[in-house]
Amino acid sequence: MKTGKNPPQLFRNLLQWYARRADIEDLLGDIDEYFLYNLEDKSPIRAKLLYCRQVLSLIFSYALRKRKGDSYYSNFYSSNNLSMLQNYFKIAVRNFAKNKLFTSINIIGLALGMSICLLALSISVAIYQADEWHENKDRIVQINSSIRDSEENKLYASTFPALATHLESNYPFIEKTVRVKSGFAPVFEHKGNKIDLRGYFTDQSFLESFSFELIHGDASSALIEPYSIVLTQSAAAKLYRDENPVGKVLITKEGKFKVTGVLKDLKQTHLYFEVLTSMGTFDQLNTKLSTELDWINYRNNYLYLLLHPNTQKESLDKALEEAGLVANSFNPNKEIKLESIYLTGVVPRWNIGNALGIGWDQPGMLFFMSIGLLILLPAVFNYTNLSIARALKRAKEIGVRKVVGADKQQIKMQFIVETVLLSLLALIGSYILFIPLKEEFLTMVVAAAVLDTSIGLAQTLIFIGFAIVVGIIAGIFPAQFFARLNPVHTLKGDMKAGSVNISGIRKGLFIFQFFLSLVFIIGVGAILKQYKDVLNRNHGFESTNVLTVPFNGIDQQLVINELGNHPDVSRVSSASHLPGLPFSTLVSVIPNKVDTMDVGQVFIDDNFLINMEIDLIWDSGEGLANSNQNEELVYVNEQFLTSAAIFNSPSDSMLFTLVDGSNCRIAGVFKDINYEPVNRLIEPLIFRSSIEQTNYALLSIQSNDIKRTISELDLIWRGLDQNIRFEGAFLDDEIEKSYRFLAIQVKIFGFLSLMAITISCLGLLGMVSYTTENRTKEIAIRKIMGASVYQLHLLLTKEFVRMILIAAMIAIPFSYFFYDFVFLHLLVKYGTGVGALEIIVSILFLFLVGFLSIYWQTSKVTKANPAENLRYE
Amino acid sequence: MKGYLGEFEELVLLTIANLGKEAYGLALLRDINERAKRNLSIGAMHSTLTRLEEKGHITSYLGEPTHERGGRRKRFFELTANAITALNDMKSLRDELWANTKVSLSL
Repeated sequence: MKTGKNPPQLFRNLLQWYARRADIEDLLGDIDEYFLYNLEDKSPIRAKLLYCRQVLSLIFSYALRKRKGDSYYSNFYSSNNLSMLQNYFKIAVRNFAKNKLFTSINIIGLALGMSICLLALSISVAIYQADEWHENKDRIVQINSSIRDSEENKLYASTFPALATHLESNYPFIEKTVRVKSGFAPVFEHKGNKIDLRGYFTDQSFLESFSFELIHGDASSALIEPYSIVLTQSAAAKLYRDENPVGKVLITKEGKFKVTGVLKDLKQTHLYFEVLTSMGTFDQLNTKLSTELDWINYRNNYLYLLLHPNTQKESLDKALEEAGLVANSFNPNKEIKLESIYLTGVVPRWNIGNALGIGWDQPGMLFFMSIGLLILLPAVFNYTNLSIARALKRAKEIGVRKVVGADKQQIKMQFIVETVLLSLLALIGSYILFIPLKEEFLTMVVAAAVLDTSIGLAQTLIFIGFAIVVGIIAGIFPAQFFARLNPVHTLKGDMKAGSVNISGIRKGLFIFQFFLSLVFIIGVGAILKQYKDVLNRNHGFESTNVLTVPFNGIDQQLVINELGNHPDVSRVSSASHLPGLPFSTLVSVIPNKVDTMDVGQVFIDDNFLINMEIDLIWDSGEGLANSNQNEELVYVNEQFLTSAAIFNSPSDSMLFTLVDGSNCRIAGVFKDINYEPVNRLIEPLIFRSSIEQTNYALLSIQSNDIKRTISELDLIWRGLDQNIRFEGAFLDDEIEKSYRFLAIQVKIFGFLSLMAITISCLGLLGMVSYTTENRTKEIAIRKIMGASVYQLHLLLTKEFVRMILIAAMIAIPFSYFFYDFVFLHLLVKYGTGVGALEIIVSILFLFLVGFLSIYWQTSKVTKANPAENLRYE
Repeated sequence: MKGYLGEFEELVLLTIANLGKEAYGLALLRDINERAKRNLSIGAMHSTLTRLEEKGHITSYLGEPTHERGGRRKRFFELTANAITALNDMKSLRDELWANTKVSLSL
């Protein structure tokens, strides 16, 4: 047959390609026959043209579309049916059993990596499910205020106090309003101890709208009377153990409170309190402020509405729009919009100011999750790396499967199934790790106990889903690789060790792993150094051998006199706040009769400055004791002068007024000492003299037997008051406690770096063991030719060492900048930065661990008898 | 039964009946093109056949490999009982309409 009499090949191929797996034998036959039939009475060119037209008509026809559609679902052509999956499963299990080292490296790695993610996931799930349990959750909304002023536009969770009455009286669809005001922090004097509790001022409707369960007391009247309080179960246990506290009276500075109820402990809610008191209490405590008419202060005032059932969202929106206009009329230079959010949506939010309670937000959760992923990533890389490196061993298997008729999709599926199975096994491991991790986490994070992180159905499903996603991500790259293998080459044995050598991208992954481990481990070193530094740091006052004794209500002068009489006590003074510890007592001062500024205030006795060895820069020599009715003498720090200078006091800059009206004169200026922990900025501070306001006695002790001295002091104390315990503690111990957050950071970083290092070393181990295994023959020959063990080690180690060095070269400058300029500044304001020593020690540590894992594998090969190795192949 | 029989579908069914054992794609196409003076494409032909098969009017089977088609098999079509009923319904409807016509339809 002449070529001119053949139908155009291109179009036939086009049709065949387009049809994919569909069965088009009869169609091809029909158009070929059509072509031959046309040749009989038409020119070949015309016949060919007609042929092309027919092909196109078929390509766009319903007939072909239908056949293609059928082919996807047809049993005969199905690529991955159930029995095939079953087989993949079997092959995977056999493969795991065959390569125990490979499997365990990957399972351990993935389990470590996934454990942090599981923690982040379970906490996220708990946060998203917060407040789901309230009976009226679909009817309760929180009112938020979006406030735009000249500087910024921000959404606040809080709103104006006057809004509650306004809305309730004007809009009938509101069933109840629940006002909540944060900042109720009574100090109860109970059985000689002072007990701090935190909570809210709120309305009686709080108990009626939310579904908090009242164990004792009357839910319909517990929060009506002023000075009535409701405790949570654990707060009640703190005060009264097992007794029923209802009806008991608690004494504070602000007045006597009557306990009217006990709530069950909080669980799964964004509200966070230990004690509730009525709104009436707030009005009694702050008679000057009227909550009914306050359209100005929006901070720390929260409003929840209980809507009538079937209230339209639109009517609420409209009411809020109108109320927003009212608020605008009171605040002419601000633009105010009111918004509502349903109770279940209150946490987590992306960005909201002045949030009530613990304020879980999405950025925080995202940060936590990305830390988890950062640890997981190297484990996924390991899997990818190692399974491609093992391609040599499995190439024949793939080749045979392809020759027998498996297509790319099927090969891919096989590897994905294998990886998913592996990651599910790893999930079991990471779950075991996750349990103690969670316990530890809950103790470290404030208020985490409120979250219900117990494992329910939702958590389990999310965990399994997560493991499957991780498996697919880890498996997709090797699966692609294997699916692309050419069966002819693999079966002929063309795949040489060289062709699966460590390629560029895998080198990159490897370096990245070590980079990450180094950054973490340098972080540990850096934070440890900060911790050590702040403890040894000179805060600007004497902290060694200073015993602090809280007065606990006993007369200050009496305690000072009695304890000061002990021979081991060289000096005694007193202060309202311990130096070196955080405190928040702020007072407003008026430096120029107009503007106010907030400064810290500490009450001291006359000996405090001398005893604590605080240096004065300037001293008028008067001493604080010479204050009179018209003028109080105070000491200030340098920062105070710097801050006050801004206000350009027209008169004498030594004079200022406190917000309560008392006139002060600066009698001395002391150095900027770290009166608060060094992670806080040094704020303006004033020392006022008032022994009655001090809370702690500070005794300088010089003793050979501290224990004996303390027990003797205890004896003296008991002579003063039988009922109150002596609570002496050394100042430096107390200061150390205030840096506990750094110890926690060390712990977290230590743990993360341990994980990162373990995972990278597992990867290293896998790669080394794989390359040495592949080069067994080569090494045996080299040995026979006279290579020494040292040379062989060098040969095998060279490449890995080079990669670790590259990682170190990137990691060192990176972590230097990261920790020095970003991280440590956030953590410790007056820190000293990263030292060279930490970096060197960290790198040496990583090198040591890395070399050990390399050496473990290489020594096996280099020490082996070459004759046996040669026979082995 | 799915839908009504279209004009072209009726034509195809009748042609299948005419061709008997030799009713395969191209034979049907040529027959219709000659008889009805149409210029149908293979795609349109097969689409209609596929639809008819979906509607249950015809069934198909593959024949023996043939030399002139490069060893490829032909797909033959047969009418089902469904199709015969549908054709009869159609015919009686037409006959009835022809019989009752008030206007003379003779040429």
